[in-house]
Amino acid sequence: MIPEIGTGVLLVALALAVYGAVVAAVGGRRGRPALVQSAQHAALGVFALLTAALLLLIYAFLTFDFSVRYVASNTNLGTPFYYRITAVWGALEGSIVLWAWMLGLYTLIVVLRHRTTARELYPWVLAVMLGVLAFFVLVMTVPAPVFTRMAPVPADGRGLNPLLEDSGMITHPVALYLGFTGFTVPFAFAIAALVTGRVGDFWITTTRRWTIVAWYFLSLGLLIGGWWSYHVLGWGGYWAWDPVENAAFMPWLTATALLHSVMVQERRRMLRLWNLALVVLTFSLTLFGTFLTRSGVIASVHAFTQGTIGVFFLGFLAVVVLVALALIAWRWDVLGAQGELDSVISRESAFLLNNVMLVAATFTVFFGTVFPLLAEAVRGEKVSVGAPFFNQVNVPLFLSLIFLMGVGPLIAWRRASLENLKRNFLGPVIVGVAAAALFRLLGVGSVLVAGSLALTLFVAACIAVDLFRAVRARRAMGERALPALGGLLLRHNRRYGGFVVHLAVLVVAVGVTGSQTWSVHTETTLKQGEQAELAGYRIRFEGLRESQESNHGKVTGTFTVLNGKAAGTVLEPAKKFYPQEQSPIAYVDYRLGLIDDIYLVLGDFARDGTSVTVKIQVNRMVSWIWLGGVVLTLGTLLSVLPERRKAA
Amino acid sequence: MKPKFLVGGAVIALALGYMIWAGVTQSAVYFVTPSELTAAPVAGKAYRLGGLVERGSLKWNPATLDLAFSVSDGKTAVPVRHKGTAPDLFGEGRGAVVEGQWTREGYFKATLILAKHSEEYQAPHPTKDAPPKRILDTLEAPPR
Amino acid sequence: MRRPWRWLVPLAALPVLALLAYGFRLNPRDIPSPLVGRPAAPFALTSFDGAPVELAALRGKVVVVNFWASWCYPACYEEAPVLERGWQAYRDRGVVVLGIDIQDKDEAGRKFIADFGLTFPNAPDRGGRVSVDYGVYGVPETFFIDRDGHVRVKHVGAVTEPAFRDAVERLLAAGPGAVR
Repeated sequence: MIPEIGTGVLLVALALAVYGAVVAAVGGRRGRPALVQSAQHAALGVFALLTAALLLLIYAFLTFDFSVRYVASNTNLGTPFYYRITAVWGALEGSIVLWAWMLGLYTLIVVLRHRTTARELYPWVLAVMLGVLAFFVLVMTVPAPVFTRMAPVPADGRGLNPLLEDSGMITHPVALYLGFTGFTVPFAFAIAALVTGRVGDFWITTTRRWTIVAWYFLSLGLLIGGWWSYHVLGWGGYWAWDPVENAAFMPWLTATALLHSVMVQERRRMLRLWNLALVVLTFSLTLFGTFLTRSGVIASVHAFTQGTIGVFFLGFLAVVVLVALALIAWRWDVLGAQGELDSVISRESAFLLNNVMLVAATFTVFFGTVFPLLAEAVRGEKVSVGAPFFNQVNVPLFLSLIFLMGVGPLIAWRRASLENLKRNFLGPVIVGVAAAALFRLLGVGSVLVAGSLALTLFVAACIAVDLFRAVRARRAMGERALPALGGLLLRHNRRYGGFVVHLAVLVVAVGVTGSQTWSVHTETTLKQGEQAELAGYRIRFEGLRESQESNHGKVTGTFTVLNGKAAGTVLEPAKKFYPQEQSPIAYVDYRLGLIDDIYLVLGDFARDGTSVTVKIQVNRMVSWIWLGGVVLTLGTLLSVLPERRKAA
Repeated sequence: MKPKFLVGGAVIALALGYMIWAGVTQSAVYFVTPSELTAAPVAGKAYRLGGLVERGSLKWNPATLDLAFSVSDGKTAVPVRHKGTAPDLFGEGRGAVVEGQWTREGYFKATLILAKHSEEYQAPHPTKDAPPKRILDTLEAPPR
Repeated sequence: MRRPWRWLVPLAALPVLALLAYGFRLNPRDIPSPLVGRPAAPFALTSFDGAPVELAALRGKVVVVNFWASWCYPACYEEAPVLERGWQAYRDRGVVVLGIDIQDKDEAGRKFIADFGLTFPNAPDRGGRVSVDYGVYGVPETFFIDRDGHVRVKHVGAVTEPAFRDAVERLLAAGPGAVR
């Protein structure tokens, strides 16, 4: 029953989406509001149908309806309740359903928010959103049908991939997809602007908040992904430059560039062509990301299975890129800049450099990701490109970006005078240099590490300088410090929201630097009662025990931390044996700290449970990365607040 | 656009291009089969060696954490040594890819062992109605 | 920018798209199987119907050995009809399809056979010796053995009609005594 109803619902949704896209475009072209209205209704209908399809799928999972092939493949009678819901997007077909549903939701919001405010662009925005929706619904019905019937109906399902039975599984794809799909809206506006010729500032100021929100969710998704990798996969790392990770990182880089170059367009009317190109590039990269994960073209630990779906995605990507670029070429004349770059030492220049670095990083990641393909096509060699390459090229780029983060907000527009430079930067530079010297004196890490940390202090000092001066100005007018600060944050929420986000980036940077430099690990075999020592911590192996959970068997090792701040902590890393898996899945246990994370992975063990091989890691400063995520949330919230009337 | 910006831009572009190209060619790791490696081994070069772990070749010493095994492609076998436990999906008769270097002493020193997990099919397991016996017992001589 | 040059912009995207399309021709997951080209390990089992199933007795025919289990879905469910159809189509041309049920309960195995109406011989691999000999570590896996008793094709995952047909036709064409 469900397979047939579900397929029916999707087919109607597909028809409506295609209808809506066409009618909206015609309505826009011919100036016929009635057609646009009709397309609008179609959009609402599509969203309703997609919601129905999603609910149907969730229902099938919750009721163990194994007549649906997707349900049988991804769950079994032992799967816990909440994972049955998250299993909905745990594999290929379901992930497309989630993506499409979010797209439908965003389309609904666009309809509600912009149907009266974006008169000229609206029909085309609607057409593009519905067109993209139509594509994803098509994917859900043809190459990756989610409602296929399973006959005969099996008595029990196969089960969820155990690596996905984790809290990260609930949040990571949701955040990531909210980010990816969110970029469809600025893209739709960009296309609308190109088609109608209204390539001024309206399209980009209207979509500013969309870009920030989508960027935020993408950032959140990436951070949660790192957290998931860190606490589930057992290698103690949070980023591996895996092709799928890179696929999500690239649109993040270009979106970050966009967030900055928008400001140059707003202030100086420059970079209009550049911004259009960036939006198109960001959206294309999100499509490229889904293509990469689902086509099997590049081998990855994460990759879903192959099939014809890759062809669909590549085809759509090709259409999107070619059409968008053709539109840009068509409107080339109108896209000239109205402002000019006056001086290299200016805020425009800082923003430009910021964009150059980010695009360079994007290109680096892209090149490293597709290089295996290139090498095979050209030389017939099978190669892989790993972390060393990405780190080698990207670290200098990111350090430059951090430097710019400090300089950009303070340096003057147009042309910065020497006076201006001294006033703003003398203090922070002194702080930075002193910190660097101090770090080296204390023997902290290498030149690179000391330099990186000093750089973050420099930037923090720049932010502090700006804040301090602004508060001081207000106090001079009679306000007290705290209300002055609050008023400042609210009045100029875009600016200070940006500062808080920059602070978040600094916190993450410190976390990354610290964890890469000072984390240590060891592996050792212990008999019951024996201790191991690492980084001053002594850890004793107490024993092994086994247990049976609802859908897996488990062998758990018990370890006690004997000394230090963590004294008395009991850690229980385990190996889980799922019947449907080829081999056991390691379950990591850890104790998080602000500076030290103690992290244990169970390796081999003797049958009688008397001895065990365990990997011990003391990872440093990793928690700073997750804390940075919290600060990021605060900064983003501040940035998207409705704007108060500003003082001139 | 002023010429000096164009020149500056070109310089940056070239510098970045060089950095990327040099980075990729230096750190690209070459994938080889055991036969390919044995035909022309280069000591110190980074390789990824792919094949099947030969039955009977796996030796694990928990006290010293030495793992030794042979990777074969049906024609040639390459001895591999690794320090530390192998990942969970690793075992005799299974496919594996090891990353590391060929040593002058005549074996492949693996720094990383990658094992593949296929989405398409499933492993043998004790039947569902007969609950798994003491798990620790079933780990003895698994039917690999 | 004068009129014609601007169109380079969209065209610039084509090489990258072409490169990505090229990726479809490659399989990044290729790991060679050492069994291909070697003589197939002999086995002597008893089918669910009590009849003997011996590889040695089938020398001279093309033999398709399929390892399956009743709990393996969706793959085994998808390939069962393919194998049955293949059996019906090729049994008169000197091709034998054998199913080996591993790590399963007899009852569940019989139900699977009945559900799919399989008419080719199926035997349970009690003790798991045969799956060990063939290096089976997942289901389904299918081995195509030529008339001389050598394993020529190993197919991992559900067998599709084209894959079945290709392998069988190739082995039929090779003829007895031919070495690839």
